[in-house]
Amino acid sequence: MNSIENNFIFNTIDNGIIVLDENLNIKVWNRWLELKTDIKASDICEKNICEEFDYINKKRLQRKIKSVFVTKNPSFFNADPHKYLIKIKSNSIMGKIFKYMRQDITIVPYDIEKKLVCLYIYDNTKLHEVNEKLKKLNEDLKELSTRDSLTGLYNRRFFSDSSPRMQSLAIRHGHDISLIILDIDNFKKINDTYGHAVGDKVIVSLSNILQNNSRKSDFVIRFGGEEFLVLLYDASLSFGEKIAENIRKTVENSELIIKDNNIKYSLSLGVACFDEKQDNNLESTTNRADKALYKAKTRGKNQVVVSL
Amino acid sequence: MPDKNFLNEDQRDCLQELMNISYGSATAAIADIINKFAKLSIPKITMLTADDFTNYIENKVEDYPACYLVSQLLDGQFSGENLFLIDEVSLKNLALEFDIDEEDIDENELKDVVLEITNIISSSTSSKLAELIDTDILFYPPNVDKIESIDNLDSHYTTDYQHIIVISTMIEFEEQNISSELIMMLKNDSIVFLKEALDNILEEY
Repeated sequence: MNSIENNFIFNTIDNGIIVLDENLNIKVWNRWLELKTDIKASDICEKNICEEFDYINKKRLQRKIKSVFVTKNPSFFNADPHKYLIKIKSNSIMGKIFKYMRQDITIVPYDIEKKLVCLYIYDNTKLHEVNEKLKKLNEDLKELSTRDSLTGLYNRRFFSDSSPRMQSLAIRHGHDISLIILDIDNFKKINDTYGHAVGDKVIVSLSNILQNNSRKSDFVIRFGGEEFLVLLYDASLSFGEKIAENIRKTVENSELIIKDNNIKYSLSLGVACFDEKQDNNLESTTNRADKALYKAKTRGKNQVVVSL
Repeated sequence: MPDKNFLNEDQRDCLQELMNISYGSATAAIADIINKFAKLSIPKITMLTADDFTNYIENKVEDYPACYLVSQLLDGQFSGENLFLIDEVSLKNLALEFDIDEEDIDENELKDVVLEITNIISSSTSSKLAELIDTDILFYPPNVDKIESIDNLDSHYTTDYQHIIVISTMIEFEEQNISSELIMMLKNDSIVFLKEALDNILEEY
């Protein structure tokens, strides 16, 4: 191995190089690794890599090396899911997301006859940090675009994006989905009498009531203006009707005091359960619930109407 | 307008035969690496355009709670991307064939197994194919994504590639059968090169 140890490229390249035999003994350890780990090649060569670094999954490494010998092609240890092969403290200047250097490792055949493989260790910490930050920003952006800014509830866009998946899940698992569409009765009068700021407080107060009357698995959505949708997962029509009635009664019995004004309001609600025979999708179920809501309005408001 | 019949019948038969040979060597490699007997069903070849691709993946993903999609970039005259698609249940079975204890199987273990199996299948098939059509391929490290819905699918697959070849197979182990798909996403230049190479082979034999 003397020839490679004295090689200029081998000792100046900006990544780690290890040569291993089939028994996982270290034959070569380059200058980059000496500097990063503070372990001299003379102290580690001829030692077993898995005994020196006991966190390495021996079975997995052996399998990857065997794969190199069998296919005579490279094998790869990605930073995801492995994160690193040799634990080296990260010296990243980008905010220290990762304590240890994130490494990608390529294992290539070095000498098939002598059963030697070469491991190239690449420091990809910066790339992974940038990716991690981008991922977080994208998640924040996605969250923002699917939330209503006043109430923090999901918005109509969330429903449009998510309903096909919810429908598929419900069909696959044989679960019912019930939808409640509700609307504040005479909301324009509240706005005209007390102003839009008070109207907004009524909306926020109602969003809290809706969340308190639904389960963690349900979705409360501000559909627009004073209209809301509650999606009840794994809920029959009669269960949906019961929840709608609970919401109606809670609102009817609640008092909202804003600037010495005791504001009373009521809701009209329409309920429908997704039915494959009559609904192409959850949008169709929403239309049926909306028609039921319209009936509730025309029948005198402050009531629940079920679409059969 | 992209044409899904971008290979004629002879070229398609020839590719099918080449895939039989190269997938055979991949199966033999897997069997050797994990010390298990494995048999391969005859690979089925389907050709898709970019427009068909999203629907194809969507149908696959809809059938299962989750699938794993591994991509490996290829460079050289035969450039593009190899994708390997496997559902979570098949992958768990595969992990058991890799002698990983059932209680140790988590998402990281599954990702490792699928990366390894993809690397073996992708490199064995593509390098065998490259050898048969007399060229060299440079392989990049594979990346894995868990796909729970079509929304998770990266958009570049439908914008960067016009010619897609799907090779569906069943690898049969003693205990269980594992179905999976290798999807070759080829750059336009590579399709021209592949067609010429297939025509040369057809002329020779």
